[in-house]
Amino acid sequence: MDKMDLAQAIYLAGKAIGAGLAMGIGAIGPGVGEGNIGAHAMDAMARQPEMMGAITTRMLLADAVAESTGIYSLLIAFLIIFAL
Amino acid sequence: MNKRDKIFLSIIFAVYFIAWFISLKHIPPMDEAFSTLGHRWVVNIGGFAFNPATLINAVIVFLIVVWIALSVREMKLVPDRKQSIIEWLFDTFYEMVEDTVPDPRFVRSTFVVAMTIFMFVWVSNMLGSFPGIVFTGWENGKLTEIGIFTDTWQVPTADLNTNLTYALLVFVISHAFAIKAKGFKTWLKGWFEPNPIMMPMNLIGELAKPISHSLRLFGNIAGGAILTYIFSYMVKYFLLPIFLWGFFGLFVGTIQALVFSILAIAYISAQLT
Repeated sequence: MDKMDLAQAIYLAGKAIGAGLAMGIGAIGPGVGEGNIGAHAMDAMARQPEMMGAITTRMLLADAVAESTGIYSLLIAFLIIFAL
Repeated sequence: MNKRDKIFLSIIFAVYFIAWFISLKHIPPMDEAFSTLGHRWVVNIGGFAFNPATLINAVIVFLIVVWIALSVREMKLVPDRKQSIIEWLFDTFYEMVEDTVPDPRFVRSTFVVAMTIFMFVWVSNMLGSFPGIVFTGWENGKLTEIGIFTDTWQVPTADLNTNLTYALLVFVISHAFAIKAKGFKTWLKGWFEPNPIMMPMNLIGELAKPISHSLRLFGNIAGGAILTYIFSYMVKYFLLPIFLWGFFGLFVGTIQALVFSILAIAYISAQLT
């Protein structure tokens, strides 16, 4: 990389830090939520093994809804890196 | 797996390996490869900006959906494989709508809306699970490069315009059904419940629905395509893209199409109660 002045360096550092923070903090919520969903689905499956098929499909659906905030932060991170 | 399948798979793997080895010399450096990421081909006609890649791929998706519809137009008494798959899908959806929508007058129309959206979104997501024609634009929207098999298809659902159109469609339909079912006055009174101070909250809550509805699908499909591109670049396109396309295209695509149409049913039925 060729030599850059201070303003460019600060701009690049801000971009990198911002994208990292957006993705890292934004992934906490979906992580906790999907963990909860998985734990309770496991509980339900252990209690009623004959319902395994129905519980698995509903678990995947709930996962897809719970991870949407993580997907928003992924979008923001992409916007910061590639579009700013 | 019999002997013929094994020979066929080995030939495909050999061709794939040779193609990878040849293409290894032509892979650009990282900053050059990622500089066009996210830039789309945009055409300005009379002050409106169009995205031709989305239009072309939407026509392809429409043709596939019409082909599916035409191939099962004549229902047979003893169904073949394709007809039984379609029958199972429609039956599952109809039962789901019947369970969710409280007003029996609106079951059929809600089913039609949700099923149409599901067919379009699912076929579009499936199209996004393998490489195809890629139009690369630059900052002013000029078309710089047409690549074949360099990246995943730029499917209509990976463009926010398509998803926002469908989400707004569901939003308008849900309120039209609410006015039709409850009458205009009761619908208007629903905004001021439980008391008039809560009106802005109700308004924001309603307006947030189409935004989160469309951004969820857009983020999953577009983010999956970008992640596939970045990860594939890091291993120089060797073998990993197949698993990424399998996960982001087939698995996430199916689940998100299902979630999109289920949320459409849920939003419509929430307005009817």
